[in-house]
Amino acid sequence: MQERKVTITNRLGLHARAAAKLVRQAGQFKSTVELKREDTGQTADGKSILGVLLLAAAQGTRITIMTEGQDEERAAAVLLEMVEQKFGEEAPDGVF
Amino acid sequence: MESSNNSRDVRIKGLAASPGIAVGRVLRLDERGRHQFYYMEVSAQQARAEVKRLREAFAEARAQVKEIRSKLKGELGGQHEYILDAHLLMLEDKHLIGEAEREIRTLRINAEWAVRNVADRVAGAYRHIRDPYLRERASDIEDIATRLLTTLSGHARLNMSTLDRDVVIVAETLWPSTIGELDLNHVLGFATDTGGLTSHSAIIARAVGLPAVVGLREVTRNAQTGDAIIVDGTAGEVLLRPAKQGIRSYIEKRERDRARRLETSDGSTEPAVTIDDVRIKLRANVELPTEVESLSLFGAEGIGLYRSEFLFLNRLPELPAEEEQYDVYRRLAEATGDDGASIRVFDLGGDKLTLEGFEDEVNPALGLRAIRLSLKAREIFQTQVRAILRANSTGHLRIVLPLISTLGEVREAKQIIDEVKEELASSGVTYNPNLPVGVMIEVPAAALMADKFAREADFLSVGTNDLIQYLLAVDRANENVAYLYQPLHPAVLRTIAHLVRVAQKAQAPLELCGEMAASPIQAVALVGLGIRTLSLAPTSIPLVRNAIRSIDLSRLRPLLSEAVKLATTAEVEALLGKHLPRQAPQFFAALSSLG
Repeated sequence: MQERKVTITNRLGLHARAAAKLVRQAGQFKSTVELKREDTGQTADGKSILGVLLLAAAQGTRITIMTEGQDEERAAAVLLEMVEQKFGEEAPDGVF
Repeated sequence: MESSNNSRDVRIKGLAASPGIAVGRVLRLDERGRHQFYYMEVSAQQARAEVKRLREAFAEARAQVKEIRSKLKGELGGQHEYILDAHLLMLEDKHLIGEAEREIRTLRINAEWAVRNVADRVAGAYRHIRDPYLRERASDIEDIATRLLTTLSGHARLNMSTLDRDVVIVAETLWPSTIGELDLNHVLGFATDTGGLTSHSAIIARAVGLPAVVGLREVTRNAQTGDAIIVDGTAGEVLLRPAKQGIRSYIEKRERDRARRLETSDGSTEPAVTIDDVRIKLRANVELPTEVESLSLFGAEGIGLYRSEFLFLNRLPELPAEEEQYDVYRRLAEATGDDGASIRVFDLGGDKLTLEGFEDEVNPALGLRAIRLSLKAREIFQTQVRAILRANSTGHLRIVLPLISTLGEVREAKQIIDEVKEELASSGVTYNPNLPVGVMIEVPAAALMADKFAREADFLSVGTNDLIQYLLAVDRANENVAYLYQPLHPAVLRTIAHLVRVAQKAQAPLELCGEMAASPIQAVALVGLGIRTLSLAPTSIPLVRNAIRSIDLSRLRPLLSEAVKLATTAEVEALLGKHLPRQAPQFFAALSSLG
């Protein structure tokens, strides 16, 4: 199993757009993907949009990405980069 | 509003979700999910058939959403289709499907009932999230549940992709996917019973540039398909079955609005500076914390008025807890940075919201409300002050006291604030002791005594909506006397001129908030009187900014000096109507009446 700790740094946190991207990406891997909030210990299936949104991880929240399976290393690396790159969404576009 | 379904000229107030004016005929959408669905117990064998029906419904719903998504992508240029993307992911969510299947198998119930149960449970979990944006996602779940139920029922889908005439869409709730299904070439605007400014539908309405008013509560009950309707997305109101002259004046207003919007569409990042280089600060009036996301879009310099009582909306008698308030104020502080935000203390009571334990009053406008209520229900006030002091990480939050009539009230409020500070200090809680306290000038007595207030308050903020009502003793919501609500009444202009003089002398900062600031002519008049900071609805900022950029203050000032000497509102309007188009033809020339 792979574990990566990361802080959500994009301004809006895991809102619909970011969550959708993450879940889409997670779904591409064979490994299971689990996200855990460091502060509350709450976990969510990274392939479930309802679960990821329910984490309500705002900017500044520390999470752990846990992957397990044959492509666990690549999954962990790709998802970590996605969070670190702020889901590529920092261009200001109004309400989101 | 009590009105039968055919009374004329029904005016309904809502939230201004997307600016502009639409004049047209109603197309009322009935809830897709309103058809009956039922509870049925099934055998083990039937349960397998129900699971199959459920899976087919999910597949069909996914196909529908994909279709809508690609249509929206074409219309919105790829900016907002992620909303539908989230819907699609929900329909692909194994947990959702799995739970619904489990429900069918273990409870032996029909697919409809399983969808209803599971959707209610999931939406319920979202309603507990503190973040208002994420809480709103419960409505996305409702949207997909309704789609699944419609699919299961075998009812035909709405076919609105080809409308043969222009319509204004009236609906209880406007689901994002419904907007996707509409033929937007023939839609003039939207009016809905529910929804907030950050509902996805409001966002899409803004994105496609169609006027929308949401949160009208009773528009579907009152409107029939084919009725004439006016949607004023700038003022946040809807007029049903308006009289002929009403329609005409709105059509004129719409044309002016369009013309100016075209002019204002570029250069919106330019500062509001007059031709002779006087800088005017334009700040935003904000009701919902989520609105702060849109401040930069309209170029607002911070928040001049945060109406904190909106934290209570839809939830009384429950009071917002200190932590919840802290989160909201903190968000305001972070979003506005050095520009800062002025938080108005809960303006409860009166016609707004009443607290339990306080009786109905015969004359609420003059009764126990605003600061009077805060000083009486002291714990509520202390909690609010504590949350603001703690949240002021940037040091640019300020507090404003509403409806002040006497200096005693200011002193008492300041003493409570000091006590809260001491209490925080002695219990070792981190907070920012630097919190400027301002006084709202809304009561004529406070305006007359402003020189005294200016010495004890850190700043003065003129609230024109109430000031005009109290000055002219008129309730603008009462249609029998609303004609007396005259922002350009010489008494109003004189009062503001007096406040400007007094504030200058005392070197106290002076700001003005209220609807006056959102009307280009009135805003320009205020600037001519000496106001330098205006706070207004964010959507109106680009227009007012353009008006200010078109004027020369050295020529405007003498005009207003003349205006305050006039005897009637009509004379003031005539004077401005004559000279403003000459002074600033590029902006005011098209003006036929004073809006």
